[in-house]
Amino acid sequence: MEGCGEMTPTARFLEVKDVRKAYGAIKAVDGVSFAVGPGEIVGVIGPNGSGKTTLFNSILGQIKPSSGNVDFCGEEITGMSPLQLSRRGVGRTFQTLQVFGKLSVRDNLIVAAQEFQGTMPARLLAPPDAGLGQHADEMIEFFGLRHVAQLPAGSLSYGQQKLIDIAMAFMPKPRLVLLDEPCAGVNPSLVDQLRALLIDLNKAQGGSFVVIEHNMDFIMKLCPHVICMVEGKVLAEGPPETVQANRQVLEAYLGN
Amino acid sequence: MGDLIQLIVSGIATGAIYALAALGFTLLWQAAGVINFSQGEFVMLPAFAILLFIALGAPLWLAFLLACVAAMLVLGIGFKWVIVDPLIRHGVIPLVIATLGLSIGLKSTLKAGYSAEAHPFPSPFPGGQFSIADVNISYADIGTLVVAGFVVISLQLFLNRTVTGRAMQAVAQNTDAAKVLGIDVKRMVLYTFLINAVLAAVAALLVTPTYLAKFDMGDAIGQKAFFAAIIGGFNQTRGALLGGVLIGVLENLVGFYVSPAYKEGVALILFLVVIVFRPEGLLGRAEERKV
Repeated sequence: MEGCGEMTPTARFLEVKDVRKAYGAIKAVDGVSFAVGPGEIVGVIGPNGSGKTTLFNSILGQIKPSSGNVDFCGEEITGMSPLQLSRRGVGRTFQTLQVFGKLSVRDNLIVAAQEFQGTMPARLLAPPDAGLGQHADEMIEFFGLRHVAQLPAGSLSYGQQKLIDIAMAFMPKPRLVLLDEPCAGVNPSLVDQLRALLIDLNKAQGGSFVVIEHNMDFIMKLCPHVICMVEGKVLAEGPPETVQANRQVLEAYLGN
Repeated sequence: MGDLIQLIVSGIATGAIYALAALGFTLLWQAAGVINFSQGEFVMLPAFAILLFIALGAPLWLAFLLACVAAMLVLGIGFKWVIVDPLIRHGVIPLVIATLGLSIGLKSTLKAGYSAEAHPFPSPFPGGQFSIADVNISYADIGTLVVAGFVVISLQLFLNRTVTGRAMQAVAQNTDAAKVLGIDVKRMVLYTFLINAVLAAVAALLVTPTYLAKFDMGDAIGQKAFFAAIIGGFNQTRGALLGGVLIGVLENLVGFYVSPAYKEGVALILFLVVIVFRPEGLLGRAEERKV
Protein backbone atom coordinates (compact mmCIF):
# COMPACT_ATOMS: atom_id res chain seq x y z
CA MET A 1 0.00 0.00 0.00
CA GLU A 2 3.02 2.30 0.04
CA GLY A 3 3.16 5.32 -2.25
CA CYS A 4 1.10 5.65 -5.40
CA GLY A 5 2.03 2.35 -7.01
CA GLU A 6 3.70 1.90 -10.37
CA MET A 7 1.24 3.95 -12.38
CA THR A 8 2.40 7.34 -11.22
CA PRO A 9 5.90 7.01 -9.83
CA THR A 10 6.73 10.69 -10.09
CA ALA A 11 3.44 12.12 -8.88
CA ARG A 12 3.22 13.88 -5.55
CA PHE A 13 1.34 11.84 -3.00
CA LEU A 14 -1.16 14.29 -1.47
CA GLU A 15 -1.16 17.80 -2.80
CA VAL A 16 -3.51 20.45 -1.41
CA LYS A 17 -3.55 23.50 -3.67
CA ASP A 18 -4.99 26.84 -2.60
CA VAL A 19 -8.07 25.30 -0.97
CA ARG A 20 -10.68 27.80 0.21
CA LYS A 21 -13.95 27.29 2.00
CA ALA A 22 -16.20 30.19 2.92
CA TYR A 23 -19.45 30.16 4.89
CA GLY A 24 -20.98 33.50 3.89
CA ALA A 25 -18.48 36.17 4.91
CA ILE A 26 -16.52 33.78 7.13
CA LYS A 27 -13.48 32.29 5.47
CA ALA A 28 -13.03 29.00 7.32
CA VAL A 29 -10.18 27.91 5.06
CA ASP A 30 -8.45 30.69 3.19
CA GLY A 31 -6.02 29.55 0.53
CA VAL A 32 -4.24 26.60 2.16
CA SER A 33 -1.58 24.72 0.20
CA PHE A 34 0.69 21.92 1.35
CA ALA A 35 1.99 18.56 0.22
CA VAL A 36 2.50 15.22 1.93
CA GLY A 37 4.96 12.63 0.66
CA PRO A 38 4.63 8.84 0.79
CA GLY A 39 5.05 7.55 4.34
CA GLU A 40 5.31 11.06 5.74
CA ILE A 41 3.65 12.18 8.99
CA VAL A 42 2.47 15.78 8.92
CA GLY A 43 1.00 17.59 11.93
CA VAL A 44 -1.57 20.36 11.73
CA ILE A 45 -1.82 22.67 14.72
CA GLY A 46 -3.69 25.89 15.40
CA PRO A 47 -6.21 27.43 17.77
CA ASN A 48 -9.85 26.29 17.87
CA GLY A 49 -11.75 27.65 14.89
CA SER A 50 -8.63 28.04 12.74
CA GLY A 51 -10.11 25.83 10.01
CA LYS A 52 -8.24 22.57 10.63
CA THR A 53 -11.25 20.28 10.61
CA THR A 54 -12.85 22.20 7.72
CA LEU A 55 -9.61 21.58 5.83
CA PHE A 56 -9.87 17.85 6.62
CA ASN A 57 -13.49 17.80 5.53
CA SER A 58 -12.56 19.54 2.28
CA ILE A 59 -9.83 17.02 1.53
CA LEU A 60 -12.08 14.08 2.33
CA GLY A 61 -15.18 15.10 0.43
CA GLN A 62 -17.36 15.67 3.48
CA ILE A 63 -17.74 19.24 2.27
CA LYS A 64 -17.01 20.76 -1.12
CA PRO A 65 -14.33 23.46 -1.06
CA SER A 66 -15.35 26.84 -2.52
CA SER A 67 -12.22 26.74 -4.68
CA GLY A 68 -8.85 25.05 -4.96
CA ASN A 69 -7.79 21.48 -5.72
CA VAL A 70 -6.78 18.36 -3.87
CA ASP A 71 -4.70 15.81 -5.77
CA PHE A 72 -3.92 12.31 -4.57
CA CYS A 73 -1.37 10.25 -6.49
CA GLY A 74 -1.66 12.61 -9.44
CA GLU A 75 -5.43 12.28 -9.61
CA GLU A 76 -7.71 15.14 -8.70
CA ILE A 77 -9.91 14.05 -5.80
CA THR A 78 -11.58 17.39 -5.01
CA GLY A 79 -15.25 16.83 -4.18
CA MET A 80 -15.05 13.05 -4.38
CA SER A 81 -17.32 11.24 -1.93
CA PRO A 82 -15.85 9.58 1.19
CA LEU A 83 -16.81 6.27 -0.45
CA GLN A 84 -14.75 6.95 -3.58
CA LEU A 85 -11.84 8.14 -1.46
CA SER A 86 -11.89 5.12 0.77
CA ARG A 87 -11.67 2.95 -2.36
CA ARG A 88 -8.49 4.87 -3.21
CA GLY A 89 -6.99 4.12 0.19
CA VAL A 90 -7.79 7.36 1.99
CA GLY A 91 -9.24 7.07 5.49
CA ARG A 92 -9.86 9.29 8.48
CA THR A 93 -10.82 9.47 12.11
CA PHE A 94 -13.14 12.10 13.54
CA GLN A 95 -12.83 14.39 16.55
CA THR A 96 -15.80 12.63 18.08
CA LEU A 97 -16.10 8.87 18.48
CA GLN A 98 -17.37 7.01 15.44
CA VAL A 99 -17.43 3.41 16.61
CA PHE A 100 -20.48 1.20 16.05
CA GLY A 101 -21.61 0.92 19.66
CA LYS A 102 -23.72 -2.23 19.41
CA LEU A 103 -21.16 -4.28 17.46
CA SER A 104 -18.34 -6.05 19.29
CA VAL A 105 -14.84 -4.57 19.14
CA ARG A 106 -13.78 -7.34 16.78
CA ASP A 107 -16.81 -6.79 14.52
CA ASN A 108 -16.06 -3.06 14.46
CA LEU A 109 -12.61 -3.82 13.07
CA ILE A 110 -13.95 -6.32 10.54
CA VAL A 111 -16.66 -3.96 9.31
CA ALA A 112 -13.99 -1.30 8.87
CA ALA A 113 -12.25 -3.29 6.14
CA GLN A 114 -14.85 -5.70 4.79
CA GLU A 115 -16.02 -3.55 1.90
CA PHE A 116 -12.66 -4.12 0.27
CA GLN A 117 -13.22 -7.86 0.17
CA GLY A 118 -14.40 -9.12 -3.20
CA THR A 119 -17.56 -8.54 -5.19
CA MET A 120 -21.08 -7.92 -3.93
CA PRO A 121 -22.30 -11.56 -4.26
CA ALA A 122 -19.06 -12.73 -2.64
CA ARG A 123 -19.74 -10.43 0.31
CA LEU A 124 -23.29 -11.76 0.63
CA LEU A 125 -21.96 -15.30 0.93
CA ALA A 126 -18.68 -14.54 2.68
CA PRO A 127 -17.96 -16.09 6.10
CA PRO A 128 -18.98 -13.82 8.98
CA ASP A 129 -15.43 -12.55 9.50
CA ALA A 130 -15.05 -11.81 5.76
CA GLY A 131 -11.65 -13.50 5.86
CA LEU A 132 -10.46 -10.64 8.03
CA GLY A 133 -10.53 -12.40 11.39
CA GLN A 134 -6.78 -12.89 11.59
CA HIS A 135 -5.99 -9.31 10.62
CA ALA A 136 -8.59 -8.05 13.11
CA ASP A 137 -7.02 -10.18 15.86
CA GLU A 138 -3.58 -8.80 15.02
CA MET A 139 -4.88 -5.25 15.29
CA ILE A 140 -6.67 -6.08 18.55
CA GLU A 141 -3.38 -7.41 19.91
CA PHE A 142 -1.46 -4.43 18.54
CA PHE A 143 -3.80 -1.95 20.24
CA GLY A 144 -3.96 -3.97 23.47
CA LEU A 145 -7.69 -4.62 23.22
CA ARG A 146 -7.69 -8.40 23.52
CA HIS A 147 -9.48 -8.55 26.88
CA VAL A 148 -12.41 -6.51 25.50
CA ALA A 149 -12.49 -7.90 21.93
CA GLN A 150 -15.89 -9.56 22.26
CA LEU A 151 -17.63 -6.75 24.18
CA PRO A 152 -19.93 -4.22 22.51
CA ALA A 153 -17.76 -1.23 21.62
CA GLY A 154 -20.31 1.15 23.16
CA SER A 155 -19.79 -0.39 26.61
CA LEU A 156 -16.10 0.56 26.81
CA SER A 157 -14.39 3.65 28.20
CA TYR A 158 -13.89 6.70 26.01
CA GLY A 159 -10.15 6.08 25.74
CA GLN A 160 -10.67 2.48 24.66
CA GLN A 161 -13.26 3.52 22.09
CA LYS A 162 -10.80 6.09 20.76
CA LEU A 163 -8.26 3.30 20.26
CA ILE A 164 -10.89 1.22 18.43
CA ASP A 165 -11.70 4.24 16.28
CA ILE A 166 -8.05 4.59 15.30
CA ALA A 167 -7.59 0.84 14.80
CA MET A 168 -10.63 0.85 12.47
CA ALA A 169 -9.10 3.57 10.31
CA PHE A 170 -6.01 1.40 9.86
CA MET A 171 -7.82 -1.90 9.21
CA PRO A 172 -8.01 -1.51 5.39
CA LYS A 173 -4.24 -0.67 5.37
CA PRO A 174 -4.89 2.80 3.98
CA ARG A 175 -2.31 4.76 2.03
CA LEU A 176 -3.28 8.03 3.66
CA VAL A 177 -5.00 8.58 7.01
CA LEU A 178 -6.22 11.88 8.37
CA LEU A 179 -6.40 11.75 12.16
CA ASP A 180 -8.52 14.45 13.81
CA GLU A 181 -7.36 14.97 17.41
CA PRO A 182 -6.44 11.37 18.23
CA CYS A 183 -5.42 12.34 21.80
CA ALA A 184 -8.62 14.21 22.69
CA GLY A 185 -10.18 12.58 25.75
CA VAL A 186 -7.44 9.95 25.99
CA ASN A 187 -5.90 9.38 29.42
CA PRO A 188 -2.51 11.20 29.49
CA SER A 189 -0.80 7.95 30.43
CA LEU A 190 -2.02 6.45 27.14
CA VAL A 191 -0.84 9.33 24.97
CA ASP A 192 2.77 8.16 24.78
CA GLN A 193 1.58 4.66 24.04
CA LEU A 194 -0.67 5.98 21.27
CA ARG A 195 2.22 7.87 19.72
CA ALA A 196 4.37 4.74 19.77
CA LEU A 197 1.51 2.77 18.15
CA LEU A 198 1.17 5.32 15.37
CA ILE A 199 4.90 5.33 14.68
CA ASP A 200 4.90 1.52 14.56
CA LEU A 201 1.89 1.52 12.22
CA ASN A 202 3.60 4.05 10.00
CA LYS A 203 6.60 1.73 9.74
CA ALA A 204 4.54 -1.47 9.38
CA GLN A 205 1.94 -0.28 6.85
CA GLY A 206 3.93 2.53 5.23
CA GLY A 207 0.95 4.89 4.95
CA SER A 208 1.10 8.67 5.27
CA PHE A 209 -0.64 10.46 8.14
CA VAL A 210 -1.94 13.97 8.56
CA VAL A 211 -2.64 14.61 12.25
CA ILE A 212 -4.62 17.45 13.83
CA GLU A 213 -3.79 17.75 17.52
CA HIS A 214 -3.68 20.26 20.36
CA ASN A 215 -1.33 18.16 22.47
CA MET A 216 1.92 19.88 21.49
CA ASP A 217 4.22 17.34 23.09
CA PHE A 218 2.48 14.55 21.14
CA ILE A 219 2.61 16.32 17.82
CA MET A 220 6.18 17.59 18.17
CA LYS A 221 7.47 14.09 18.91
CA LEU A 222 5.32 12.36 16.25
CA CYS A 223 5.53 14.66 13.24
CA PRO A 224 8.75 15.57 11.41
CA HIS A 225 6.76 18.25 9.57
CA VAL A 226 4.24 20.62 11.16
CA ILE A 227 1.80 23.16 9.72
CA CYS A 228 0.33 25.88 11.91
CA MET A 229 -3.03 27.30 10.81
CA VAL A 230 -4.54 30.51 12.12
CA GLU A 231 -7.80 32.05 10.86
CA GLY A 232 -7.96 29.69 7.89
CA LYS A 233 -4.42 30.42 6.65
CA VAL A 234 -1.10 28.62 6.98
CA LEU A 235 0.91 30.80 9.36
CA ALA A 236 4.05 28.71 9.45
CA GLU A 237 5.27 25.33 8.30
CA GLY A 238 8.42 23.27 8.72
CA PRO A 239 10.16 21.04 11.26
CA PRO A 240 8.48 21.13 14.68
CA GLU A 241 11.30 23.06 16.41
CA THR A 242 11.18 25.79 13.75
CA VAL A 243 7.40 26.14 13.93
CA GLN A 244 7.48 26.10 17.71
CA ALA A 245 10.04 28.89 17.76
CA ASN A 246 8.23 31.02 15.16
CA ARG A 247 7.28 34.32 16.80
CA GLN A 248 3.95 34.64 14.97
CA VAL A 249 2.99 31.11 16.02
CA LEU A 250 3.93 31.89 19.61
CA GLU A 251 1.79 35.02 19.59
CA ALA A 252 -1.22 33.51 17.82
CA TYR A 253 -1.35 30.04 19.33
CA LEU A 254 1.29 28.73 21.64
CA GLY A 255 1.55 31.75 23.95
CA ASN A 256 4.70 32.62 25.79
CA MET B 1 -56.66 -23.18 31.27
CA GLY B 2 -57.19 -24.69 27.83
CA ASP B 3 -58.81 -21.46 26.65
CA LEU B 4 -55.93 -19.42 27.96
CA ILE B 5 -53.27 -21.44 26.15
CA GLN B 6 -55.33 -21.42 22.96
CA LEU B 7 -55.72 -17.65 23.16
CA ILE B 8 -52.02 -17.17 23.80
CA VAL B 9 -50.96 -19.38 20.89
CA SER B 10 -53.29 -17.74 18.39
CA GLY B 11 -52.33 -14.34 19.86
CA ILE B 12 -48.66 -15.04 19.27
CA ALA B 13 -49.48 -16.09 15.69
CA THR B 14 -51.38 -12.85 14.99
CA GLY B 15 -48.69 -10.90 16.81
CA ALA B 16 -46.01 -12.49 14.66
CA ILE B 17 -47.72 -10.98 11.60
CA TYR B 18 -47.80 -7.54 13.23
CA ALA B 19 -44.16 -8.10 14.11
CA LEU B 20 -43.21 -8.70 10.47
CA ALA B 21 -44.70 -5.36 9.43
CA ALA B 22 -43.22 -3.68 12.52
CA LEU B 23 -39.80 -5.12 11.74
CA GLY B 24 -39.92 -3.44 8.33
CA PHE B 25 -40.87 -0.21 10.07
CA THR B 26 -37.88 -0.25 12.40
CA LEU B 27 -35.44 -1.37 9.70
CA LEU B 28 -36.44 1.54 7.47
CA TRP B 29 -36.13 3.95 10.38
CA GLN B 30 -32.74 2.67 11.48
CA ALA B 31 -31.11 2.49 8.08
CA ALA B 32 -32.72 5.39 6.27
CA GLY B 33 -34.45 7.59 8.86
CA VAL B 34 -37.76 6.91 7.11
CA ILE B 35 -41.05 6.52 8.99
CA ASN B 36 -43.36 4.80 6.55
CA PHE B 37 -46.99 5.53 7.36
CA SER B 38 -48.09 3.59 4.30
CA GLN B 39 -46.72 0.34 5.77
CA GLY B 40 -50.27 -1.04 6.00
CA GLU B 41 -50.82 -0.46 2.29
CA PHE B 42 -47.45 -2.13 1.69
CA VAL B 43 -49.17 -5.25 3.07
CA MET B 44 -52.44 -4.64 1.20
CA LEU B 45 -50.86 -4.32 -2.27
CA PRO B 46 -49.03 -7.69 -2.26
CA ALA B 47 -52.30 -9.30 -1.11
CA PHE B 48 -54.02 -8.03 -4.26
CA ALA B 49 -50.95 -8.91 -6.34
CA ILE B 50 -51.19 -12.51 -5.09
CA LEU B 51 -54.90 -12.59 -6.02
CA LEU B 52 -54.05 -11.18 -9.46
CA PHE B 53 -51.42 -13.85 -10.13
CA ILE B 54 -53.82 -16.55 -8.90
CA ALA B 55 -56.49 -15.20 -11.29
CA LEU B 56 -53.91 -15.49 -14.07
CA GLY B 57 -53.57 -19.18 -13.28
CA ALA B 58 -50.60 -19.37 -10.89
CA PRO B 59 -50.79 -21.66 -7.85
CA LEU B 60 -50.61 -19.87 -4.47
CA TRP B 61 -46.89 -20.49 -3.86
CA LEU B 62 -45.94 -19.17 -7.29
CA ALA B 63 -48.31 -16.22 -6.96
CA PHE B 64 -46.63 -15.41 -3.64
CA LEU B 65 -43.13 -15.56 -5.10
CA LEU B 66 -44.18 -13.36 -8.03
CA ALA B 67 -45.80 -10.94 -5.57
CA CYS B 68 -42.52 -10.81 -3.62
CA VAL B 69 -40.65 -9.85 -6.79
CA ALA B 70 -43.30 -7.27 -7.69
CA ALA B 71 -43.20 -5.88 -4.14
CA MET B 72 -39.40 -5.56 -4.28
CA LEU B 73 -39.66 -3.66 -7.56
CA VAL B 74 -42.58 -1.40 -6.67
CA LEU B 75 -42.56 -1.08 -2.86
CA GLY B 76 -38.78 -1.44 -2.56
CA ILE B 77 -36.99 0.20 -5.46
CA GLY B 78 -39.93 2.26 -6.76
CA PHE B 79 -40.86 3.67 -3.34
CA LYS B 80 -37.24 4.58 -2.64
CA TRP B 81 -36.62 6.24 -6.02
CA VAL B 82 -39.88 8.08 -6.47
CA ILE B 83 -40.70 9.18 -2.93
CA VAL B 84 -37.85 8.71 -0.47
CA ASP B 85 -34.80 9.82 -2.46
CA PRO B 86 -36.18 13.22 -3.52
CA LEU B 87 -37.60 14.01 -0.05
CA ILE B 88 -35.15 12.51 2.44
CA ARG B 89 -32.77 15.47 2.39
CA HIS B 90 -35.59 17.73 3.58
CA GLY B 91 -35.91 15.85 6.85
CA VAL B 92 -38.41 13.49 8.45
CA ILE B 93 -41.62 15.56 8.32
CA PRO B 94 -42.03 15.88 4.52
CA LEU B 95 -41.58 12.12 4.24
CA VAL B 96 -44.13 11.48 6.97
CA ILE B 97 -46.63 13.64 5.08
CA ALA B 98 -45.73 11.97 1.77
CA THR B 99 -46.21 8.46 3.14
CA LEU B 100 -49.51 9.45 4.76
CA GLY B 101 -50.57 10.79 1.36
CA LEU B 102 -49.35 7.64 -0.34
CA SER B 103 -51.44 5.57 2.06
CA ILE B 104 -54.61 7.51 1.22
CA GLY B 105 -53.77 7.56 -2.49
CA LEU B 106 -53.21 3.80 -2.71
CA LYS B 107 -56.41 3.00 -0.85
CA SER B 108 -58.54 5.40 -2.87
CA THR B 109 -57.04 4.28 -6.18
CA LEU B 110 -57.73 0.65 -5.42
CA LYS B 111 -61.22 1.39 -4.14
CA ALA B 112 -62.23 3.55 -7.09
CA GLY B 113 -60.23 1.72 -9.75
CA TYR B 114 -60.80 -1.88 -8.77
CA SER B 115 -63.09 -2.78 -5.94
CA ALA B 116 -64.42 -1.65 -2.57
CA GLU B 117 -65.42 -5.21 -1.67
CA ALA B 118 -63.62 -7.67 0.56
CA HIS B 119 -62.20 -10.53 -1.50
CA PRO B 120 -61.63 -14.01 -0.07
CA PHE B 121 -58.02 -15.09 0.05
CA PRO B 122 -56.76 -18.69 0.05
CA SER B 123 -54.99 -19.84 3.18
CA PRO B 124 -51.54 -21.34 2.62
CA PHE B 125 -52.23 -23.78 5.47
CA PRO B 126 -54.70 -26.66 5.84
CA GLY B 127 -57.93 -25.92 7.69
CA GLY B 128 -58.87 -27.64 10.91
CA GLN B 129 -57.10 -28.02 14.21
CA PHE B 130 -55.46 -30.54 16.43
CA SER B 131 -55.73 -31.16 20.14
CA ILE B 132 -53.10 -31.63 22.80
CA ALA B 133 -54.67 -32.41 26.17
CA ASP B 134 -57.74 -30.16 26.10
CA VAL B 135 -56.08 -27.44 24.04
CA ASN B 136 -57.18 -26.98 20.42
CA ILE B 137 -54.65 -25.37 18.14
CA SER B 138 -55.37 -24.56 14.50
CA TYR B 139 -52.98 -25.55 11.75
CA ALA B 140 -53.20 -21.98 10.47
CA ASP B 141 -51.81 -20.60 13.74
CA ILE B 142 -48.97 -23.11 13.78
CA GLY B 143 -48.24 -22.47 10.09
CA THR B 144 -48.21 -18.73 10.66
CA LEU B 145 -45.82 -19.11 13.58
CA VAL B 146 -43.49 -21.37 11.61
CA VAL B 147 -43.38 -19.09 8.55
CA ALA B 148 -43.05 -15.86 10.54
CA GLY B 149 -40.46 -17.46 12.82
CA PHE B 150 -38.48 -18.71 9.84
CA VAL B 151 -38.49 -15.26 8.24
CA VAL B 152 -37.48 -13.49 11.46
CA ILE B 153 -34.68 -15.96 12.26
CA SER B 154 -33.37 -15.82 8.68
CA LEU B 155 -33.35 -12.04 8.84
CA GLN B 156 -31.51 -12.02 12.17
CA LEU B 157 -28.94 -14.50 10.82
CA PHE B 158 -28.50 -12.36 7.72
CA LEU B 159 -28.03 -9.18 9.77
CA ASN B 160 -25.69 -10.71 12.34
CA ARG B 161 -23.80 -13.43 10.51
CA THR B 162 -23.12 -12.05 7.04
CA VAL B 163 -20.70 -9.39 5.94
CA THR B 164 -23.47 -7.48 4.19
CA GLY B 165 -25.78 -7.72 7.20
CA ARG B 166 -23.11 -6.28 9.45
CA ALA B 167 -22.52 -3.45 7.00
CA MET B 168 -26.27 -2.71 7.11
CA GLN B 169 -26.08 -2.57 10.91
CA ALA B 170 -23.09 -0.25 10.67
CA VAL B 171 -25.05 2.07 8.38
CA ALA B 172 -27.98 2.03 10.79
CA GLN B 173 -25.74 2.88 13.75
CA ASN B 174 -23.54 5.54 12.20
CA THR B 175 -23.98 6.56 8.57
CA ASP B 176 -21.08 9.01 8.43
CA ALA B 177 -18.56 6.57 9.83
CA ALA B 178 -19.84 3.84 7.51
CA LYS B 179 -19.27 6.09 4.48
CA VAL B 180 -15.71 6.88 5.49
CA LEU B 181 -15.01 3.16 5.93
CA GLY B 182 -15.99 2.53 2.33
CA ILE B 183 -19.41 1.00 2.95
CA ASP B 184 -21.76 1.74 0.08
CA VAL B 185 -24.44 3.38 2.19
CA LYS B 186 -26.88 3.84 -0.70
CA ARG B 187 -26.77 0.16 -1.54
CA MET B 188 -27.25 -0.89 2.07
CA VAL B 189 -30.25 1.42 2.33
CA LEU B 190 -31.66 -0.09 -0.88
CA TYR B 191 -31.29 -3.58 0.64
CA THR B 192 -33.32 -2.37 3.61
CA PHE B 193 -36.15 -1.23 1.33
CA LEU B 194 -36.08 -4.58 -0.49
CA ILE B 195 -36.22 -6.48 2.81
CA ASN B 196 -39.12 -4.32 3.97
CA ALA B 197 -41.01 -5.11 0.76
CA VAL B 198 -40.52 -8.86 1.23
CA LEU B 199 -41.56 -8.67 4.90
CA ALA B 200 -44.74 -6.88 3.79
CA ALA B 201 -45.43 -9.55 1.17
CA VAL B 202 -45.00 -12.32 3.76
CA ALA B 203 -47.29 -10.46 6.17
CA ALA B 204 -49.85 -10.20 3.34
CA LEU B 205 -49.72 -13.94 2.72
CA LEU B 206 -50.26 -14.70 6.41
CA VAL B 207 -52.78 -12.04 7.40
CA THR B 208 -55.09 -11.82 4.39
CA PRO B 209 -56.86 -15.19 4.84
CA THR B 210 -58.24 -13.71 8.11
CA TYR B 211 -58.52 -10.00 7.21
CA LEU B 212 -59.69 -10.65 3.60
CA ALA B 213 -58.24 -8.63 0.73
CA LYS B 214 -59.81 -5.20 0.96
CA PHE B 215 -58.61 -1.72 0.04
CA ASP B 216 -58.54 -0.63 3.70
CA MET B 217 -57.14 -3.85 5.20
CA GLY B 218 -53.85 -2.02 5.74
CA ASP B 219 -55.35 0.47 8.20
CA ALA B 220 -55.39 -1.95 11.12
CA ILE B 221 -52.14 -3.73 10.36
CA GLY B 222 -50.28 -0.48 9.58
CA GLN B 223 -51.41 1.05 12.86
CA LYS B 224 -50.56 -2.04 14.85
CA ALA B 225 -47.16 -2.33 13.23
CA PHE B 226 -46.48 1.28 14.16
CA PHE B 227 -47.68 0.78 17.73
CA ALA B 228 -45.71 -2.48 18.00
CA ALA B 229 -42.54 -0.72 16.86
CA ILE B 230 -43.01 2.09 19.41
CA ILE B 231 -43.96 -0.27 22.24
CA GLY B 232 -40.94 -2.49 21.68
CA GLY B 233 -38.51 0.33 20.95
CA PHE B 234 -38.27 1.99 17.57
CA ASN B 235 -34.52 1.53 17.30
CA GLN B 236 -34.46 -2.16 18.17
CA THR B 237 -35.42 -4.97 15.81
CA ARG B 238 -36.01 -7.25 18.80
CA GLY B 239 -38.34 -4.57 20.15
CA ALA B 240 -40.57 -4.82 17.08
CA LEU B 241 -40.94 -8.55 17.65
CA LEU B 242 -41.80 -8.12 21.32
CA GLY B 243 -44.24 -5.27 20.58
CA GLY B 244 -46.03 -7.27 17.87
CA VAL B 245 -46.42 -10.40 19.96
CA LEU B 246 -47.50 -8.42 23.04
CA ILE B 247 -50.26 -6.68 21.07
CA GLY B 248 -51.41 -9.94 19.46
CA VAL B 249 -51.67 -11.82 22.76
CA LEU B 250 -53.25 -8.99 24.78
CA GLU B 251 -55.82 -8.36 22.02
CA ASN B 252 -56.89 -11.98 22.21
CA LEU B 253 -57.07 -12.02 26.01
CA VAL B 254 -59.00 -8.75 26.23
CA GLY B 255 -61.32 -9.85 23.42
CA PHE B 256 -62.13 -13.07 25.26
CA TYR B 257 -62.09 -12.14 28.94
CA VAL B 258 -63.27 -8.51 28.79
CA SER B 259 -65.19 -7.78 25.63
CA PRO B 260 -64.54 -8.10 21.91
CA ALA B 261 -65.53 -4.44 21.69
CA TYR B 262 -62.35 -3.40 23.51
CA LYS B 263 -60.04 -5.62 21.46
CA GLU B 264 -59.13 -2.96 18.93
CA GLY B 265 -58.24 -0.49 21.70
CA VAL B 266 -55.55 -2.70 23.24
CA ALA B 267 -52.71 -1.60 20.99
CA LEU B 268 -53.58 2.06 21.48
CA ILE B 269 -53.74 1.81 25.28
CA LEU B 270 -50.48 -0.14 25.43
CA PHE B 271 -48.94 2.46 23.14
CA LEU B 272 -50.10 5.34 25.37
CA VAL B 273 -48.83 3.66 28.53
CA VAL B 274 -45.42 3.03 26.98
CA ILE B 275 -45.18 6.56 25.56
CA VAL B 276 -45.90 8.05 29.00
CA PHE B 277 -43.79 5.77 31.20
CA ARG B 278 -41.05 4.50 28.90
CA PRO B 279 -40.92 6.62 25.76
CA GLU B 280 -37.86 4.80 24.39
CA GLY B 281 -39.91 1.57 24.27
CA LEU B 282 -39.64 -1.63 26.30
CA LEU B 283 -36.35 -2.71 24.74
CA GLY B 284 -35.37 0.62 23.21
CA ARG B 285 -32.52 2.89 24.10
CA ALA B 286 -32.54 6.65 24.14
CA GLU B 287 -32.08 7.75 20.52
CA GLU B 288 -28.49 8.61 19.70
CA ARG B 289 -28.60 9.25 16.00
CA LYS B 290 -28.97 12.65 14.44
CA VAL B 291 -32.14 13.09 12.45
